[in-house]
Amino acid sequence: MSPEILKIANSFGVWVLAAVTVSMVLIQAVLFTRLAYTTADKIGYPREKCRQAFRTGLITAIGPSIAIFIVMVGMMSVVGGPITWLRLSVIGAAPTELTAATVGAQARGVEFGGPNYDLLALATSWWTMAINGFGWLIIVSLFTHKLEDIREKIGGGDPKWLAALSGAAMLGVFGYLNTSHVLAGGGRLIAVATGAIAMVILLKIAERAKWLREYTLGLAMLIGMALAVWLG
Amino acid sequence: MDEATKRLEEFERIWKKPVIRIGSITVLLGGLFAFLPSLYLWLRYGVFPPLSMALKAWGMIAAAFGAFYIVEPISYYAILGLSGTYMSFLSGNISNLRLPCASMAQEVTEVKAGTPEAEIVATLGIAGSIITNLIGVTLAALLGYALIRLFPPAIADAFKVYTVPAIFGAVFGQFSLRYPKVAVFGLGIPLLLLGVLKGIPVWLVIPASVFGSIGIARIFYNLERQRR
Repeated sequence: MSPEILKIANSFGVWVLAAVTVSMVLIQAVLFTRLAYTTADKIGYPREKCRQAFRTGLITAIGPSIAIFIVMVGMMSVVGGPITWLRLSVIGAAPTELTAATVGAQARGVEFGGPNYDLLALATSWWTMAINGFGWLIIVSLFTHKLEDIREKIGGGDPKWLAALSGAAMLGVFGYLNTSHVLAGGGRLIAVATGAIAMVILLKIAERAKWLREYTLGLAMLIGMALAVWLG
Repeated sequence: MDEATKRLEEFERIWKKPVIRIGSITVLLGGLFAFLPSLYLWLRYGVFPPLSMALKAWGMIAAAFGAFYIVEPISYYAILGLSGTYMSFLSGNISNLRLPCASMAQEVTEVKAGTPEAEIVATLGIAGSIITNLIGVTLAALLGYALIRLFPPAIADAFKVYTVPAIFGAVFGQFSLRYPKVAVFGLGIPLLLLGVLKGIPVWLVIPASVFGSIGIARIFYNLERQRR
């Protein structure tokens, strides 16, 4: 790919336009945080707990964000800095976005990031990523409130069952997400197994040492990673 | 009307309605604004994929991901809830960031799942994760090439390959502790479908695992209630 293309992809105008979308994510987070605090006040839920929840989110996200950071730098060298910034702030995770960018190049008939990857191929990659992300967003924008109606029906106003239901959904989702890593064997299987065991042990310890709770998931992740490198 | 129903109706008014308004608008705008850089290439450089190429690319990507547009919001809803769904789908990285952070926030505050408080706590956990993630990606965009050299290659590789399985395993461990019997099926169903039977499309495996596990949980729940 010629440096000319990357220069256009990294031009100031693209940065500004990418910033518009990224700030949308930030604005939404601020609006929902404010609403959460005012609602907590109204229903008499303590502010201290609210701050604790927010802090837990901040801390737990550090490890995965480092992983995103590393993958992101690789993606920037092909489709440019600002568009990668946009794509990994909005809906996308790196594998999905790279697939969409590759499909765009294929529709143009060239290899993704190869020597024939021209400006038209770049435009097609960008277009494909945007239209693909829009698929999820339009469904979520239009139909999420309908899903709430369905949940209320299935939940039937029984809070104990509602708790069991979301726990089961979580186990189903993460059971599925773990499957490919379990089947892959080797280091990835070790990461899954030791991450799970470390988490169970840490949560048991945190029953006594409350201060540990906020760090359990981040620590379990690091232990799983370290053992996968060591044993895998 | 008893106290609990009154409280839920109040919550509906002060929380759900504004959440739907903020959520549907911000998500739609985010999706539309993401086209701006493509428009810029067109207006500034006159480059835009011709209709046939644009449609071809759209068809190919919809064939790969189209089913997920619908399956994922439905399958994740029971966990993310109303505000969590709007936030998580706009900001992405749902499985490796939003779900773990929402569930950890609930774990740490010891809130009862399925209550209004749980929804507020999950919202704040996800908001916190969005801030960390935005700082991370913005640093990467501005200083990525310079900062990446600070990571020794072995550590960078470890993060690249093993973060995702380690965090997936840890979250699974967290919930197995609470529902050990359901956990057997949560992992068993997708392992059976993908590892033993094979050839079943992934977009079918996700709802099969989620709603299969919910069904199993319902059976256990009913059995336990009968016993009392």
